[in-house]
Order: sequence, then C-alpha cells, then structure tokens
Amino acid sequence: MNPDWQGALDAVVHHPLFGIGITLGAYQLAVAAYDKTRWIFLQPVLVSMLLVIGVLLLCGIHYPEYRKSTEILNILLGPATVALAVPLYLNLRRIRQLFWPTFTTLVIGGVFATVACVALGYWFGAEHMILMTMAPKSVTSPIAMLVAEQIGGVAALAAVFVLITGVLGAIFGPALLDRFGVTSPEARGMSLGVTAHAVGTSVALQESDECGAFAALAMSLMGVATAVFLPLAVSVIA
Amino acid sequence: MLLRGLTWLVLFQLLGTAINHLLLPMLPGPIIGLLLLLAWLISRGEVAQPLSEASSSLLRYLPLLLVPPAVGVMVYAKDIAADFWAIVGALVLSCLLTLVLVGVLMQKLIHRQAARKEQP
Repeated sequence: MNPDWQGALDAVVHHPLFGIGITLGAYQLAVAAYDKTRWIFLQPVLVSMLLVIGVLLLCGIHYPEYRKSTEILNILLGPATVALAVPLYLNLRRIRQLFWPTFTTLVIGGVFATVACVALGYWFGAEHMILMTMAPKSVTSPIAMLVAEQIGGVAALAAVFVLITGVLGAIFGPALLDRFGVTSPEARGMSLGVTAHAVGTSVALQESDECGAFAALAMSLMGVATAVFLPLAVSVIA
Repeated sequence: MLLRGLTWLVLFQLLGTAINHLLLPMLPGPIIGLLLLLAWLISRGEVAQPLSEASSSLLRYLPLLLVPPAVGVMVYAKDIAADFWAIVGALVLSCLLTLVLVGVLMQKLIHRQAARKEQP
C-alpha cells in the first residue's frame, strides 16, 4: 500500500497553524538576514512578506485562508498601537526646551508631507483608492494601516508604501541633509523621524543619541497627528 | 506583571472602541485608546512598571504583527501595476522634498530660538 503523500501534504498545508508557522519562520529568517548584513533594503517586514507570499503561491493557499489563520496576530495589533503612547510620553518629557521649534516644524512638515504626496500622485494620475492609501505613508505602519482603512484606502498597501518611504528616507536622508547644510542633531533627527518613521529613527540612532531621541519623538508625534487630523481633513473635504 | 500591563492596554483600547462608537466615528478605536493612555500618563507623571513592561514587549514584536496584513498586497498586485509609476514618483519626490524641508526649517527655528535667548 502506498502512503498517501498528497493527503498528508494537504492536511499540513491547510492546518489552521500553517499560516502562523510560516509567518513565524519567515520573520525569524528575515530578522537573521537583517542582523547579519545590516543592509537597509532587507527590512524584516518586507522580506518576511515576500517569503510568505512565495510560500502561499507555492502551496496554492488564497489570502483569505491565510488571513483567517493569522487572526491571533492581528488581534494584538490594537493593543500594540495603544502601547505606542508609552514611548511618545517618555520622548515628550525630553524636549521641553525645544517645544516651539519642534511643534512648528511638525505642523508644517507633516502637512507638507501628506499634501505633496497626494498632490503628486493625483498629478501623475493615480486613482482615488491609491491616493487615500498613500496619504498616511510617512507614519509608522500600525497607525498608517488604521488610518488608510478609515479614509478609504487599503491597509495592506499602506503597510508597503510606509516601508518603501522609510527605506528611501533612510538611504538618501543623511546625504541629502549634509548637502543642504543641516548639521544640528535635533534637526536631522526631526527630519528623519517625520519622513522615514521607524526606519529613519534607526538610522538617526546610529548618528547620535540626541538625533535618535528627536527622530523617535518626531515619529510618534507625526503618527498621532496624522491619525487624528487626516481622517478629519478627508471627511471635511469629501 | 506583564499580564497586568497587557490588561491595561486592552482596557484602553476597549474604552477607545466605545468612544469611537458613541462620539468619534472618524477616529479608529486604537488611536483613541492611544490618546487616552497618553493623557493618563501625562496626568500621572510616570509610567508604571507593568505598563512599560507590556508595551515594550509588544512593541518589540510589532514588525511581526505587521507581516500578515502586509501579505495582503498579493491581492492588489493589479492595482499597483496599473498605477506603478504614479506611486513610485509620488512617494520618492514627496519623501525627498519633505526630508529637506523639515531639516532646514527645524535648524532655522532652533537657531532663531537660541539667538532670541542671547539678547533678552
């Protein structure tokens, strides 16, 4: 009697734990690759995403099935978003002296980042759904995903746009800031944090502690400001 | 200790969901929860040990939590392909412009504040 290889494979591949299994595996591989190479293109989320998509296509699993089996990870995203309040609070205490420069820059820079991206996208002929997904691209991913969904975009795409923006900012940011004579660590950190969120913050931390602190602060302030004002602005305009 | 902090986070999110439903339909529940927690921390003036433990453990694994929703791109491959150059152009240009604007502006404002302090 032949063993039922096909049946066994199906049982494994369609087991409710399979989705979680490949996600955990892919993520650890991606983190190991990033730690080893320190190559900024190898953002763990981006690499794990590609690995998981590859496995799903190979096994012929559709996205809804994968989504359902990873529901448990998804449920934790809410409390993780709430938890962002803790680093924001710790950073807020550090900037009392430079409150007004930080605040002014955040308002002008944040509005500019969002408006410029949507206006350019519109001008280049992107459709409405894509525009609404690109609007929160300068914000840390959980917030961007929530906001994109709220204003008529797509959470999954938002996560990818956020990553692309972060990697771009991290690669070109330091050189570009040098060229324009931005030398103060506070200003460099602020710039990296507002545009390139978490990826930019990790680059800023490599420059100096002070630069990193401002990047972390800028990232969390920008996140909260976008989360609060972007849906409001869209509901007023639309 | 970890569980107690996690309970607080969940409570704040549920509270946020209730407020989202009752008063603020345009803000997502977790964001309202974040704002409430921030307000609570500011009024307390410190971060309690269980809360800081739970939040740092959750945030350490934040990238992992983001993988499943990001995999959803596979469903939208066609939409991305249709607008590919518009997306790339808008993302690259706005990212680089913002980077320079924010850096230069912040540096100017810091210098101005420093100058004002020197000549009262």
